[in-house]
Amino acid sequence: MSADAARSVPIEEPRAVSLSRGVKWRVFFRSFLLQASWNPQGMQNLGLAYALFPALEELYPDPQRRAIALRRHLTFFNTHPYLAAAMLGGVLYHEQRIALGLEGPEPVTNFKAALMGPLAALGDGFFWLSLKPATGALCAGLVPVLHAWAAILFIGLYNAVHLPLRVRFYRLGLRLGDKVVDALAQQQLPRRGARLRALGASSAGALAAWLAIVFGRNETGSWAPALAAGCLVVGALSYWLVARRATYYALLYLAALLAAATGAFL
Amino acid sequence: MVLSSHVALAGIWGGLMAVERRAFLQAMFSRPLVAATGVGLLMDDLSSGLYVGLVLELFYLGSANLGAALPENDTLAATGCAAAAAAMTGGTGASTPAIWSLAILMFIWLGHAGRFIDRALERYSTRLEARAIESADHGELERAVRQNVWGMWPHFVSFALITAGCALVGFLCAPWVELLPLRVARGLAWAYPAMASVAAAIAARGSHARHAALFALSAAALVILGSAAATLRWHP
Repeated sequence: MSADAARSVPIEEPRAVSLSRGVKWRVFFRSFLLQASWNPQGMQNLGLAYALFPALEELYPDPQRRAIALRRHLTFFNTHPYLAAAMLGGVLYHEQRIALGLEGPEPVTNFKAALMGPLAALGDGFFWLSLKPATGALCAGLVPVLHAWAAILFIGLYNAVHLPLRVRFYRLGLRLGDKVVDALAQQQLPRRGARLRALGASSAGALAAWLAIVFGRNETGSWAPALAAGCLVVGALSYWLVARRATYYALLYLAALLAAATGAFL
Repeated sequence: MVLSSHVALAGIWGGLMAVERRAFLQAMFSRPLVAATGVGLLMDDLSSGLYVGLVLELFYLGSANLGAALPENDTLAATGCAAAAAAMTGGTGASTPAIWSLAILMFIWLGHAGRFIDRALERYSTRLEARAIESADHGELERAVRQNVWGMWPHFVSFALITAGCALVGFLCAPWVELLPLRVARGLAWAYPAMASVAAAIAARGSHARHAALFALSAAALVILGSAAATLRWHP
């Protein structure tokens, strides 16, 4: 075979040991307990080992190899609990290759070490600091209209984003291994997060105004509208004080005391 | 009978929410709006749970579990306040803003106490980790991974007991709440929208949005203008 002909032969990626579908789903569902024994030393290490165990049992029939595999996942691990799905998928991708003898244990260790920090930052920014406040403020703002359905809407809205993304991250990790980073970058989570944060702030402002108006209407007495407006002024003042690092609890008690005293004696 | 079943239900719900928040799934069932509404539903007083949860949802909107930092325990504050409010309503017969305010003022500090308990329970998890590593070293792999599950029960038990305790205190306080002078009750009722305004300000700040004040003020202005327009339309 000439050199050119040899170059044109497609080089196949070595095929990995394939985990059964059932085990992949078991690992995914067990990842819901990732933080069950969160501890200051290994952080999520117990949860990771717990989630991976069914896969390790299938990949390593030899107890000694299985023990070595488990031991390498009992080291420090901490990332965002949702984005951990992508890492779990990636770890399984590597473990399949290790079981086949296609690579040593270093790539999986490096994969975890390299990704857990950035993925934690990505998950914190989108889920904890954007999606959660936005859905929380929006649904709290809808309580006067939807009543208890607002709480159900909160769960529905949040999990309509959270659960499909979690499944998607896991499958991407399983399929792409290290390349999961590029796929996650395409999700554009930071840009979407910025829009959600604006929604959260707007909902909070609207709700405060709505509650003050409702209370002002329901109370009899000529002073009621003034007291309702006073509540809004207290809110605006609180925003200014919070920006100057005033204690939240102190502000809440102070506002309650002020409103209670005014409401009682007017 | 009603008292004991309500206290028990509130406790079980409080324990479950603590586990959901910390250890299992984290699908936001443990957020104040949902957790407190659940307490209200179980104690036959949906309104108290819902309106206590609303204020606490806003109050704790910006808190997040970032890295190893522990935030205030919003779930414990929500289940505790809602259980106390629902129990007071059970004793007095009416769910009022005065009762919601009283419950929040009495038990919101549980958010702070909950963080302290979370930190204390980490010592137990650290022991579990040491036991898991020791088991793995001895080849007892199933025992090693099982340690992860044991980390949940202290959270369930401690937060269930605290929530049940709040419900019990609420029931015990109910006769005293009925004796409150009208002026005090009216004052406490006005404390509710004031606290909601403060919580909304904290929420707007905690939303981490750029120009959060502008968004919050614009939305508030829109609601006020909309309400004024609606009033003028009905009463020209």
